[in-house]
Amino acid sequence: MLDLLQQGFGAVFSLNIMLLMLGGVAVGIVFGAVPGLSATMAVALCLPLTFTMGPQAGLSLLVALFVGATSGGLISAILLKIPGTPSSIATVFDGGPLMEQGLGVKALGVGIVFSFLGTIFSIIALMFIAPQLAKVALSFGPHEYFAIAVFSLTLIATLSAGSMVKGLFAGTLGIAVSTVGIAPVEAVRRFTFGVSELNGGFSMLTVMIGMFAVAEVIKLAETGRHAVRSKAGSVSMKDIKGFGFSLKEFRQELPNASRSGLIGLAVGILPGIGAGTSNLLSYIVAKKRAKQPETYGKGNIGGVVASETANNAGIGGAMMPLMTLGIPGDTTTAILLGGFLIHGIQPGPLLFISQGPLVYTIFAALLVASVMMLFMEFYGLRLFIKLLDVPKHILLPIILVLCVVGAFGLSSRLFDVWSILLFGVLGYGFVKAGMPVAPFIIGFILGPMAETNLRRGLMLSDGNFASFFTNPIAATFLGLALAFVLWQLYSAVRPRGGVLGQALRT
Amino acid sequence: MTTANKKELTIGVAMLGASIAYLVMAYRVPGHDGIDAATVPTLLAILLCLLGLLQTLSAFTRHAQAAESSSDTPDQPKPTVTEPLTVLKTLGLILLYVVLLGPVGFPIMTAIYLYLQFIVLTPVGHKIRHLLYVVIAVVTSGVIYLLFREAFDLLLPAGLLNF
Repeated sequence: MLDLLQQGFGAVFSLNIMLLMLGGVAVGIVFGAVPGLSATMAVALCLPLTFTMGPQAGLSLLVALFVGATSGGLISAILLKIPGTPSSIATVFDGGPLMEQGLGVKALGVGIVFSFLGTIFSIIALMFIAPQLAKVALSFGPHEYFAIAVFSLTLIATLSAGSMVKGLFAGTLGIAVSTVGIAPVEAVRRFTFGVSELNGGFSMLTVMIGMFAVAEVIKLAETGRHAVRSKAGSVSMKDIKGFGFSLKEFRQELPNASRSGLIGLAVGILPGIGAGTSNLLSYIVAKKRAKQPETYGKGNIGGVVASETANNAGIGGAMMPLMTLGIPGDTTTAILLGGFLIHGIQPGPLLFISQGPLVYTIFAALLVASVMMLFMEFYGLRLFIKLLDVPKHILLPIILVLCVVGAFGLSSRLFDVWSILLFGVLGYGFVKAGMPVAPFIIGFILGPMAETNLRRGLMLSDGNFASFFTNPIAATFLGLALAFVLWQLYSAVRPRGGVLGQALRT
Repeated sequence: MTTANKKELTIGVAMLGASIAYLVMAYRVPGHDGIDAATVPTLLAILLCLLGLLQTLSAFTRHAQAAESSSDTPDQPKPTVTEPLTVLKTLGLILLYVVLLGPVGFPIMTAIYLYLQFIVLTPVGHKIRHLLYVVIAVVTSGVIYLLFREAFDLLLPAGLLNF
């Protein structure tokens, strides 16, 4: 493993890739910091840039964006008291009051340092756990894959915000849209209406660019002209030593950080829920375990530590199912999956055997990007604060143009541009109907996987469904999925769910 | 019926409509004997219809609950101003942009689209600064076109400017 990692670092430490990653982290931080822009969008919009790069450079850029954007949310959470991304919601609880008390720099410093520690912790965990998981996954056949796909879908559909019916509907609709095109196994054309461009189905990236970026532009059109723009508070960097907080404070927060890191990692591994949930969950736990829980919410740095460690620890967690099974855990890893596929790389257990050096290049890139994030975000803070003031009515149309470029670049045809428009309108409809987008995306990606493996599994067992339940691993996952739906139904019928249930639903 | 319930009902009907359309199309897929390419779409269609039906019915059952909760919370958050007209204008602009992208070409259409979209989205109370918008639109369009053409080997439709 060490020599592979050494090779990985060797690849990343070239001037070309280092510059790309510096740019990637910076752009990522901006996308994370500006409310309304997200990590998913950052990766989606920069994908066309990587088309002509080699896989090493391209994937390094994409993970740099991912790391930067996950952490960038804390800037607006503390300065504007608006979470830049859902993964920084809990940062506002204590970061906001700290800012009001004039301790903004301290809050930012704590947030950035613990973001960094959370990321590093999760990547190291990823490096040790993922190869082992891949070994186990190598023995998986169609039955297991079908069961895991169903399990992931159930989890994401039932845990998304809003009503369970809408979540399940969104997930099922995602699978339904993925059935457009030539069917697996016997290659029948389905729902193509004679349009030859539809034979291959909708491209995963057009669906995501449409649902996330185009829908966002339409959404701004609805309310943006009347939105009250909050001014970013200013922070003075004078007389700041190190990262603005003392070693004693750092030591005091270590138990809290380790706990939050573990929560973030574990929640990140689960498909469907990620940093958006884990930051709230670890905040609740940190508050419960604190010596003076009443100071939380009034400007205790522990709140910032819990939230930021947990959301960044989700990075390594979310990468695990992606790299070992090819199953994205959330929307950002879904678009990373798109990036992998564009470079001709199929994530899955075989990746570790066939592309070992590349896997470790990705690990190395993740580590290097975290270090870059640590220094750039703190010392480049004033620049990022300036960028928060770029008016949305200028920014979002430009983003739409970049979406069009990205869609067109996929295979140089206008059909894909029409697709992003279609899915943009659909995404806007989802927002209006209070329907979660994430289950739709994951359904769209996992649908073909579920169907193909269902058909293969049935062929192996001569059309006998029972084989899905006699296979121990498949039966476990299917059973878990069923138990989960029943548990959700039970807690929906009960008047008030527990703290955990509420945190998961927000 | 409260407005919230009416909204939920509309959503339910839309869900049901989409589900039935998918069901009809799934039925037209060749096959339907044993397990074949039509099996999964049919199963999905049935599931979608069931969920759509559940949503529609829940709009009626939630009636009592919604009425109660509305009396409990008199201080609702300020309603944000929504502008369907701006949404329609934006959609129209995007549509026009995509339609003309092929024949007129990326550089010209992007500059026009950006300029018009900036104007449409300018916040209420802000001055529309035509000159600035034109400059941003033209520069952005040119930079993106040339950057992708020269640095990333992506030939965007040149259209009328085919040089």
